Order: sequence, then C-alpha cells, then structure tokens
Amino acid sequence: MSQPDTDLHEITFERVYQAPRELVFECMTTPEHLTHFWGPPGMSTPIENITIDLRVGGAFDTTMVNDETGEQFANLAEYVEIDPPARLAFREKGNAEGMTTTIDFIDQGDGTTLTITHQINVPAMFASPEAQAGMRSSFDRFDGYLAALG
Amino acid sequence: MAADELSLTFAALADPTRRAILSRLADGEATVNELAEPFDMSLQAVSKHLQVLERAGLISKGRDAQYRPCRLEPASIDPAIDWLEQHRRMWTERFDRLSDHLESIQRREKEPPP
Repeated sequence: MSQPDTDLHEITFERVYQAPRELVFECMTTPEHLTHFWGPPGMSTPIENITIDLRVGGAFDTTMVNDETGEQFANLAEYVEIDPPARLAFREKGNAEGMTTTIDFIDQGDGTTLTITHQINVPAMFASPEAQAGMRSSFDRFDGYLAALG
Repeated sequence: MAADELSLTFAALADPTRRAILSRLADGEATVNELAEPFDMSLQAVSKHLQVLERAGLISKGRDAQYRPCRLEPASIDPAIDWLEQHRRMWTERFDRLSDHLESIQRREKEPPP
C-alpha cells in the first residue's frame, strides 16, 4: 500500500512490488511500459505522448489524456539523476515548476522491490523551513480545510 | 479552477511575510497598521503584500473607508488543498497500475512459448 505522509511541503510514497528492481526500474523509464500505468484510472498516456531521453538534463515528457473528455495534461520534466537500477530523479518544468520527484528502488533480497518516491516542492512554496512553520500554523487554524487532507 | 488562478494562489503563498500575515488574520481581522507592527517593514511594503493576497482572493478588505480592516477568505485556499489531494491520488493510482502491469508481464514471461 502507498502511505502518503501528512506533510504539505513534501510527500513520500512507499510501495512494494512483486518484481526484481531491474524490471521496476525499466518500467519507470521505458515508454512501452509507462503507457500501461502512467495515466491513473480515467486517464491514458499513449506511447506517442511519452518522450524519454534517459540522461541527466534529458527530457521526461508525458501528456496524459482524459479518457472521457479528451482533455490533455502535459507534464514536462527533465531528469536530474539517473543511477540504474537504484535511483531516478526528475524535476518538473512548466505547471509545477521545480517540483522534484526522486524514486529509490530498493532490492529487498526476496525478489521484491521497495520503491520510495519522495517529492519536494509540492508545490514549490512548501519547501522552505519558514514555509513549513508558516503554512502549518495558517493551515492549523483552517480546521475544516485541513480535514480535507485526511 | 484554472491553472492560472491556482498559480496565483501558490505564488501569493510563496512568501514568508505573506504567510505570516495570513496566520495573523486567521486570529481575526486587522488593519494595515496592526499588520505592519510585528514586521520590520514600511506600511507601503506591507500594503504591497496585502495587494498580492487580495488579488489571489486570499483576503478581502472591509468597506470602512478609514480603517478598511483585512480579513481572511479561508475558502480561497481550498483549490490549493484540492490540488495536493488530487496529486496524491494520482500517484497512488499510478502505482496501483504499475503493480498490475508488473504482475501481468511477469506472468507472460513464465508462460511456455507457443
């Protein structure tokens, strides 16, 4: 199960996959695989909408399409770290400018792989230490709104 | 909500002084003078921050011509929180699908060739 933490400024998801990490890494870095899972339910990411240039500074662009409305959502990113099959990091451009996602692939020695996905600058303003304190106290007082975060 | 309005909200929230102003306003409305007090800033600088917050819809100013107290518009922060919530959901669902995908390709590999 994914267990998103409750921090506003950064998010960590952990997940165990029943597969060797080379394969999990390959799935995250190959259009032929990504097209099967990148768009969450209700969205798809056709293979021609995926650009992967697997090197630091290279493009990682995905355009998701809403299955019902055909609306397109472009995500433009660039790779900032590539260390197969252990680590992958990319940084968003455009909409979520600066948001950086780092995925660690950890071989658990029993044929399973733990991935730890850590995102910072979600969105950018939550990253600084003052932001944490400031936003926390602001949000703390907006009781009803905080409840929406679960 | 339009992406532009959302970035307006996020941009307004990006500054520590503005967040401190919002925190203060969460306790109740206040005039520009009252808001300027805890900061080592000119009234003008504080007014500028208030303008940014007002444009993003995060605060509103009262009608009283003399005092025009500022107050928080808490509902305006909803879209930002919704965005975060949607974002979490998207990643969780994406990983669910990756799990399914891994299962299906490994099952295929195990099958004997025809």
